[in-house]
Amino acid sequence: MHPLALVFAYGLLTAMATGLGAIPFAFVRTVSPKGVAYANAVASGLMLGACFGLLVEGTESGTWPTIIGANLGILFILATQQILLRFNVSFGSLGSVAARRTLLMIVVMTVHSFAEGVAVGASFGGGMTLATLITVAIAVHNIPEGLAISAVLRPRGVSVIGCAGWSVFSSLPQPLMAVPAYLFVDAFAPALPYGIGFAAGAMVLMVFVELLPEAYGQASRRTVALLVSVSLAAMILFQRFL
Amino acid sequence: MNPTITVLIYSSIAAASAALGAIPFRWRDSIPTAWIGWANALAAGLMLGTAYVIVVAGLNRMVWAGATGAFLGIGFIYWTHLIAHTEDIDLNKLDETGPEYGYQVLLVQSLHSASEGVAIGVAMSLNIGLGVFAAIAFAVHNVPEATVLCAVLRARGIRLRDAAGLAVMTNLSLILLAIVTFALIAAVPSLLPWTLGFAMGALVYLVMVEPLPESYRQAGNTSIALVTSVAMGIVVLLNGFLL
Repeated sequence: MHPLALVFAYGLLTAMATGLGAIPFAFVRTVSPKGVAYANAVASGLMLGACFGLLVEGTESGTWPTIIGANLGILFILATQQILLRFNVSFGSLGSVAARRTLLMIVVMTVHSFAEGVAVGASFGGGMTLATLITVAIAVHNIPEGLAISAVLRPRGVSVIGCAGWSVFSSLPQPLMAVPAYLFVDAFAPALPYGIGFAAGAMVLMVFVELLPEAYGQASRRTVALLVSVSLAAMILFQRFL
Repeated sequence: MNPTITVLIYSSIAAASAALGAIPFRWRDSIPTAWIGWANALAAGLMLGTAYVIVVAGLNRMVWAGATGAFLGIGFIYWTHLIAHTEDIDLNKLDETGPEYGYQVLLVQSLHSASEGVAIGVAMSLNIGLGVFAAIAFAVHNVPEATVLCAVLRARGIRLRDAAGLAVMTNLSLILLAIVTFALIAAVPSLLPWTLGFAMGALVYLVMVEPLPESYRQAGNTSIALVTSVAMGIVVLLNGFLL
């Protein structure tokens, strides 16, 4: 296979893996307001755990770029939120608040995939073994991210297929970014910590501005705290084995 | 210097800094609710950042023991809250002046500080520089935390000097646990990954159950999210430069 096609295929593979995160929701039919809160809490824990991992990776290649990227990520999400608020968006059959959260979640998870795509592409510079290792690592770690997306989308009435589809969509930047990152490794390498920081900032803000307030509003604080802290610890454990 | 003395000195600084939280009340009788929310968010972000710093420093040590420790830490705080009947307590009720509520608030604060002590002890065992960093992060964290506590105590008619004293008192468990944890790990080094996980789990659970849910009812979601994430970012930034 042509090396470029191979890089694209590997990136696509990681994107498809994200869709697997929707599977647990095939067994859930109706979701109560409490269920939404619990799903939010789990998604928050998974995202915070993912951010811990990203911050470690980013600060290894540069603390300032990571922090600057994180600030840009925070500003980007705030701006997106304001735009969605102003236009009073609707999404499928969802009301405006649910639609805003759903869209924001898709935007957050999609922009955060850009940095991961760069990581996949850049890893091909280090030989096939490294590339396969990184690709498998990112593919597997995409599954709980798909779970986080589905946990936000499914309780708001999106179908299981829809959840899987949007999960894969959110990871499409991975094959798309992997190819140019492979071609221009030298140009992309210095940008990587900015991208990683951006991803972390966007996810942290999403957790604190949308997911947690809603969770606290609908479930008891101890249940929310329990779900967030257990899923955060599980995510860190999960990432350590990749 | 004897490392135990270092632990004693820095954990004492972390506990004593709580007195600074009373300062805003020298000039005003009460502070606006939104400020209390931001103080809570600031405390939450600093604590989450410190949990991150400790996890990163100890990431390579026996992951399974660490994870089990994390679940034990979460479970421990959960159960102590259940036993004390404080699992869903709102710590910022300014109009609740019954004696029972006062005791509950002080008890919860002392338990909270105990976990911070474990975290400092673990960080000191990993390396003294990291321990000093964690102790100073908790010292800063204790200031807004004490401001919130003083707001509650002042609303109950307690004199400012006594409120500041009580804020420091609730942090004495921090000093005790920091030294005990440090000594335990020195005696039994294989306890390190367990205590490290314990501290991380306990800190994250505490952030999510105490300051954060309250803050959202005191100020807007956006400002709370910003204060929390920026406070966390500052700890990450300093950690990247200092260690």
